[in-house]
Amino acid sequence: MIWLSSRWRIAVMVLPAVVLFTLFFAYPVLYGVGYSLTDAQGFSAPRLIGLDNYAALGDDPFFWLSLKNTVIILVVSVAFLVPASFALALLMQQRIRAAGALRALLFGPAIVAPILVGLVWVFILDPRVGLLNRLLVPLGIPEIQWIGGDSLTPYSIALVFSWASIGFAMTIFYAGLQQLPDDVMEASSLDGATRWQQLLHVTVPMMRETIGIVSILLVTNVFKIFELVYMLTGGGPVHRSETLVSYMYFVTFTSQRYGAGMAIAVVVLVLGALTSLVYLALARRGRSA
Amino acid sequence: MPGYPFRRPVAAVATLAALLPLAACSQASDAEQGGPTTITLSMQNPDVKTADPATWAIVEAFESANPDVDVEVSGQPVAEHLQSLSIAAQSDTLPDVFWVYKSNAEEMLAGDRLLDLQPILEEQGVIDSLPATTVEYFTSDGTVFGVPYQGLLTGLWTNTQVLSDHGLSTPTTFDELLQVAETLADEDVVTISNGASQSAFSVWQFLVWLDRFGFEEKMDGLLDGSESWENPDFVRMYEHIAELRDAGAFSSNVSTQTYQQAVDQFLQGEAAFLDAGVWAAGAIQDSEVAPDTTFWKGPTFSDGVGEQNIIMNVASAPLVVAKKVGEDEAKLDAVERFLGFYYSDEAQQLMVDNGQPPVTTYEPELDEKEQSVLKSALDAAREEGVSTPGTQPDLVFPVAVSNAIYDSIYGVIQDQLTPEEAAALVQRALDAE
Repeated sequence: MIWLSSRWRIAVMVLPAVVLFTLFFAYPVLYGVGYSLTDAQGFSAPRLIGLDNYAALGDDPFFWLSLKNTVIILVVSVAFLVPASFALALLMQQRIRAAGALRALLFGPAIVAPILVGLVWVFILDPRVGLLNRLLVPLGIPEIQWIGGDSLTPYSIALVFSWASIGFAMTIFYAGLQQLPDDVMEASSLDGATRWQQLLHVTVPMMRETIGIVSILLVTNVFKIFELVYMLTGGGPVHRSETLVSYMYFVTFTSQRYGAGMAIAVVVLVLGALTSLVYLALARRGRSA
Repeated sequence: MPGYPFRRPVAAVATLAALLPLAACSQASDAEQGGPTTITLSMQNPDVKTADPATWAIVEAFESANPDVDVEVSGQPVAEHLQSLSIAAQSDTLPDVFWVYKSNAEEMLAGDRLLDLQPILEEQGVIDSLPATTVEYFTSDGTVFGVPYQGLLTGLWTNTQVLSDHGLSTPTTFDELLQVAETLADEDVVTISNGASQSAFSVWQFLVWLDRFGFEEKMDGLLDGSESWENPDFVRMYEHIAELRDAGAFSSNVSTQTYQQAVDQFLQGEAAFLDAGVWAAGAIQDSEVAPDTTFWKGPTFSDGVGEQNIIMNVASAPLVVAKKVGEDEAKLDAVERFLGFYYSDEAQQLMVDNGQPPVTTYEPELDEKEQSVLKSALDAAREEGVSTPGTQPDLVFPVAVSNAIYDSIYGVIQDQLTPEEAAALVQRALDAE
């Protein structure tokens, strides 16, 4: 302990982490911010154009569409995923047959590469050759544009994202539930609390930290959705189903507007960080109330 | 130090390992070292051998004829390929010969990264075998910066069996095409197979339509800003796409199917036409629809502008050579010989044998039965009275504008944009440039 109490020794021990953080996070972020202030197009020397790329985003209807889609996916995913995965974790805690196998089955989609998840769901949601419409059309229901239309696509992406993430979120909740002290639960039972009251007044308050972590992870993952969009719709029709990240990819690499693409990347970073910070602040306020 | 018996051998190995990269930095060329000269060829396909058999066959034949030259072929998908080139251009580590969009090549030329190919082409006698318009197309400020990689002969592959099954024949005019679409839609048959997902560029036929609505005459004005994309002629062209859409010409999953799935749709006999080019000839030839497939240059328009009897048979994106090749005598000699071979009659025949039209004036030999599909395309291109535009409309603009052109066409096909909105979308991209 005496050895560790020296300031310069602490600094030396922290140094590798600082170097790695600077190299692989801070430097690329600052580099991206720098590029977002230029007209970089890849093959010629970039010129500094100030905030023009950010101003142009304001007039870009596809940017606002992709932002709207991201918000829809975010709201639908978080509103559905957090309670659903929590409920599943509670279910898994019960003494049910083959609970281990069921847990593994639910966790399965989380270990499948998102690009494959997208590929699988194309064959389910495609309006012409997809399984869903092939089941519904013979029942007299008209062909529904689950993907590829301009209204249902973000909801379908949210559904697929939820399917792929629910096992992961459930596992974190399940691990959290395992950590709850038995004596508190027993004491509440002895006090005559019903299972519902136990859940509402004991389990949920004690799981608040875990709920916060799961929510933050989901929020950050929603801001990173790319492969699902790429496989399901390719961002179409005409960018109607782009998310912020898929549109950033299109602008940066397909249209070779590196400066404009980096401006979107910076917006994604700021939005992701802000959403997480706001959520954490709200959770903290709820804890202290 | 008895505790470290391997100290010296380990130190020796470590020193050797540290020095190895320095050896790689040596300026000595392969030829100076006595081995074959290596030239690098970087392409826009992740698997050149299978996805671009024509180029692969030419490289193999060149290496056989020139054992002192080794052509190192590499490839990536277009976006990754361009990204790598962008990084390489900034660090002056470009491959020796590579495929790139014309607009990007012009940027590189302005940055003094490309070799002037005029002396090489003259010395190898290539200039005379290339169409004059092609050389002009790849010339900027008197510098020939590129040579055509392959020909871009596009049109509508036509399954005549699907048409005759429904009492139809190959149309000639737009009105006839519209009638075909209405008839086939009633029978739940796709008229034109297209796929927008991950392949927004697959609108070749509609790029020809732009030429049938006066693109050639408007091109200079569009480039210098004196002409608008929102002109009545182009809006009328988008209106015709909308008419086809409303007649049920396109597949209901045109948004979610990829170009490859569109090809499969045609190969399975589920569509009357496929919007593609000669590159699809091989796949069609190997399929069951081959005997019934012909090549159609697309409809003429009674309200079109200018020449209607045209077919898109132009040079695609160029192959260019990095400027630093000129600093290495052995490498320059190898590249000169490679380009000379690439445009020789032998290589052009190899192109044809692998489903590509020749890019020179060479008259290829075709097997009537085994290459019937490709032959129908080449015959259509050589039909009497048919002419070809100087270039495909998307190829003259920066990539962002080209993407806007694709979006505008698919936007109307997918009923997401009105003809006026489609034209405005492209104009906005032009304004941004």
